[in-house]
Amino acid sequence: MLQYEELIYTEVYQAVLRAVTEISADVKGLLDEALARESNETAKSMLSSMVDNLSIAKQADKAVCQSPGYPTAWVWFGKDGPHPCIKQAVADAVAEATQRGYLRPSIVDPLTRVNSGDNTGKGVPNIELEYVPNQEYVDFIISFKGCGAELGNAMQIMTTAKLGKDLVGLKRFILETAVGAGGKPCPPYGIGIGIGGQMDVAAKLSRKAISTRRWDDVNPDPQLAELEHELKDAVNALGLGAAGTGGDTVCLAVKMECAHTHTAIAPVCINFHCWVARRAGVRIYPDGRTERLL
Amino acid sequence: MAIYHLSTPLKEEDVRSLKVGDVVYLSGHIFTARDMAHLRIQGLLKEGTPPPKNFAGAAVFHAGPVALKNSDGSWRLNVIGPTTSIRMEPYAAMVGGLGLRAVIGKGGMAEDTLRACGEYGYVYLQAAPGCAAKLAQGVESIEDVTWLDMGMPEAIWDLRAREFGPLVVGMDTHGDSIYANLRKAALEQIAARYPA
Repeated sequence: MLQYEELIYTEVYQAVLRAVTEISADVKGLLDEALARESNETAKSMLSSMVDNLSIAKQADKAVCQSPGYPTAWVWFGKDGPHPCIKQAVADAVAEATQRGYLRPSIVDPLTRVNSGDNTGKGVPNIELEYVPNQEYVDFIISFKGCGAELGNAMQIMTTAKLGKDLVGLKRFILETAVGAGGKPCPPYGIGIGIGGQMDVAAKLSRKAISTRRWDDVNPDPQLAELEHELKDAVNALGLGAAGTGGDTVCLAVKMECAHTHTAIAPVCINFHCWVARRAGVRIYPDGRTERLL
Repeated sequence: MAIYHLSTPLKEEDVRSLKVGDVVYLSGHIFTARDMAHLRIQGLLKEGTPPPKNFAGAAVFHAGPVALKNSDGSWRLNVIGPTTSIRMEPYAAMVGGLGLRAVIGKGGMAEDTLRACGEYGYVYLQAAPGCAAKLAQGVESIEDVTWLDMGMPEAIWDLRAREFGPLVVGMDTHGDSIYANLRKAALEQIAARYPA
């Protein structure tokens, strides 16, 4: 058992290091494509800087972004439960990466604003535990999501009337939110949209959608797949561009997740994720075999 | 769109000749300042106490570095990139009054800053977002740090820069803002595509 615990500590630390020194391969691919088709000169220069930044960080073994963002980890476990050490393993990994200069200490008390010094604190790192019946292995994903992006976020308790015919009201809310967010979320960004439940459910779905799904995947729900596609194109057509200074691509992906809700309401949470998609994960089997996720 | 290589202290006439879309590379001193530094400077000014640095002709960077301490107590820069500038919007006139000539950040600022840019003679420069490793190549050294009690991100870091950039003029002294122009066009498009 001790050996398994050591494995968890090692794998979690490796995932943290990978998450902060590179971006996930799916997002890198979308970024390269955006640069290749960009027609606006300023946006081209900004996108080139982004692509350069990734190779400089990789070569010099440095953080890709100065801001560590906010760490949330997801743990999907089956009948054997999550290992009791998992919370400590994530907190230790984040604190050690901070001490070694990969993460700037940036987590503070929400009221006094006093910095904890090691990116941990009350409720931080945030851990989301999810039970998956009959799953043999444990899946772990850590995500460091930038907080400038949070300043563009919006939520609304919509209603049948506000959603509108053919969801026109919903689409307008999302597009107007993108205009309001402008360049704040470090475009070209991803947008996670959570719909349903009550406010808390929609908010968690929005973060999970954009932080744990591949940005180049196709939603298995055909209605959501179509909406994701339409909204991504509509947001890009606004012309806001990389860095928010104009151009063809402001949005690399829209990812939506739904839960059933009450007939009186339709909570909608819109959650921006900067292009610096720092997330990494690992699947750990009971016999100690591991597989890389994201 | 023109490309400029400017050094601090920045001259008012040089800054007033810049137009949105121009590209700037900056050398000399760059001071970082974000939420807490602005708040503390505001408090000092209210008491009639001068701020700890002379901001005349300076460039202020909305940023907090990852800095590492050397064994002799000095600091070295690991990476640095822009933070979201709109949080500093309430200080538009205050920073103008300090005499700075350029604000560097990301995401743009709003009407109060645009007005102050024209009135006091400073520009808003957009740095490439999320490019901390690349931007750090334009910083030669950390000269000094002030107010480290506020934590690493919120302290004022005095950086020696060389050809720091590219920085795009996002808001100029002539009342033009890339962000406002794009926002207006985008809202018109939404109204046409998804009418209320």
